[in-house]
Amino acid sequence: MSTFTPAPTTTPAASGAVPPESPEAPRAIPASRRSARKTRSAAGKAVLVVLLLAFTLFPAFWMLSSAFDAKAGAGGQTLLPREWSLENFQYVLTDGGFDVYLRNSAIVAVVTVLASAVLALLASVAVARFRFRFRTSMLLMILVVQMVPLEALVIPLFVQVRDLQLLNTLLGLMVVYVALSLPFGIWMLRGFVAAVPVELEEAAYLDGASWGRMFRSVLLPLVMPGLVATSVFSFITAWNEFIFAMTLLGGASENYTVAIGLKQFFGEHTNEWGYIMAASTIITVPVMIFFVIVQRRLSSGLVAGAVKG
Amino acid sequence: MSTTIQAPTPAPGGTTPRPGAGPVHRNRLIASSRPWLLLAPALAVLAVLLLWPLVRVFLFSLQDYGLRQIVSGEPNWIGLANYGEILADPTLWGVVLPNTVGFAVLAVTFTVALGTGVAVLMASLGGFWRTVVGSAIMIAWAMPAVTGTYVWVWIFDADRGIFNQTLQALGLQDEPVNWFTNRYSFYAIVLLNVVHHGFPFVAITILAGLLGVPKEMLEAAEMDGAGPWRRFFQVIVPNLRQVFSVVIILSTIWDFKVFAQVYLMPGGNGTNREALNLGVWSYVESFGQNRYGFGSAIAVLLTVLLLIITVIYVRTMLKEDEL
Repeated sequence: MSTFTPAPTTTPAASGAVPPESPEAPRAIPASRRSARKTRSAAGKAVLVVLLLAFTLFPAFWMLSSAFDAKAGAGGQTLLPREWSLENFQYVLTDGGFDVYLRNSAIVAVVTVLASAVLALLASVAVARFRFRFRTSMLLMILVVQMVPLEALVIPLFVQVRDLQLLNTLLGLMVVYVALSLPFGIWMLRGFVAAVPVELEEAAYLDGASWGRMFRSVLLPLVMPGLVATSVFSFITAWNEFIFAMTLLGGASENYTVAIGLKQFFGEHTNEWGYIMAASTIITVPVMIFFVIVQRRLSSGLVAGAVKG
Repeated sequence: MSTTIQAPTPAPGGTTPRPGAGPVHRNRLIASSRPWLLLAPALAVLAVLLLWPLVRVFLFSLQDYGLRQIVSGEPNWIGLANYGEILADPTLWGVVLPNTVGFAVLAVTFTVALGTGVAVLMASLGGFWRTVVGSAIMIAWAMPAVTGTYVWVWIFDADRGIFNQTLQALGLQDEPVNWFTNRYSFYAIVLLNVVHHGFPFVAITILAGLLGVPKEMLEAAEMDGAGPWRRFFQVIVPNLRQVFSVVIILSTIWDFKVFAQVYLMPGGNGTNREALNLGVWSYVESFGQNRYGFGSAIAVLLTVLLLIITVIYVRTMLKEDEL
């Protein structure tokens, strides 16, 4: 249910397979004019790239710059911090309570990742490797359920978690996050499982392996990259999620996750922007690191050459 | 059982009959129940935590469900009265629907246009610069919605935000303007936030599609005298129709249900009624006013709206590859 459910068609641009530049201009044009036109289009492209980079990176840059500026909230800020310091981070991690929030978020995210990885892997093997009744309707259900807005789930789940007396506990939040990350996990792993050649499984059976043995020794290692990618997505879901954390943890600030821990720096009349940006940086950095990892994993060829004898 | 060499359990097409049944029969029974055993834990979780709540939100929407009902658990049926109240509410027609639908249309348009432009630009870049641009947009994509929203709020902060300060320094503005009180400037900032966060997915997806367009086709079109614009609209776009429809529909679904990006802005949590959209309205009515039944009815309307879009999405997908 994260904001970045890639369509199954997404094959992240393998940066290796770069086709050469767009076809050369027709040869009839004299060399001088051709090169002039080339320079102009190259300059145009450079301007576009610079503008794009500025637009894309400015918020992240501004977040960092304010986070390291001891006087971020004082106004009259310049592009680079006037007074470099780690003061904001220090405050956020001690008096700001982010040491606790980070720990809470880490616990919630790790449990969510482990539980949903196991459940999603088993289920994805079922839908990718077996043909059974209701299989197509099951897949459709998994696809459709991803589109349900969280706002529709938050009311009944609030009541349900309340009935279970799990309001204001991390356990209640974890259970919900596992459910939220499952459909996408199954959907994505299904592709990875299907990509493992059936011949490899059959070879394992011929060698006398039982289904369980085949699963452990053949399927699991080959699906590992997909499992890592899926786990990263469920990590990010659990780490970033806001509406359920706010609703289910409302009263217990010692159980806050990072996503809702930020709001305490907002005052009635004035906001502590230096603290907010430092805390935002702390939240954002792990997500960005994981994002880079998953991007690589996804583009690495899965079992290329595994079948070739 | 483990000492004898087992007949290989059929992997795909698990239940196809095989010659020489006899002892294999039991294995086949195991094999045919295996998918269900594998599915059972996930299905149980999905049923209890996603499907049952979906049924329940609909049941709540038919009740006057408030704090008392939550505590006692007693139903309090009122039929379709909640829906009637919503449809008669001027907030819906004057504020909420325009804020939801109008915003989604604009956001999808800008996201897809910018994403496509960036994809075309990236396709024309050399390896090094493509990696640079790719990493930069990855950073924009990875920014969590919560922190991203706070950064935009900080940029546009009335008193000390860099946007107002720059305008004042340039002499374009005498007094600091609070951009969050006006409905249109409020949603302009949401738009900036959502497009900034959403275009990388579009760019990466379309770039993958662009690199898959056969070069021969483009060369042939160029030989026939087609300029870059014609090549783009008459060769590339028809080739990528599938990719475009997936990207457009997914963006539509996401932009219909923006929540944190609105809720976390100043006044976005319901204090500024002008800034409500369907999701925030539902949440504010439920958890702010304790009118869970009314809020559920709004949520059901939003869900139905998204389901319609999803059905279109599924049909597009099904044409592409069989499930």
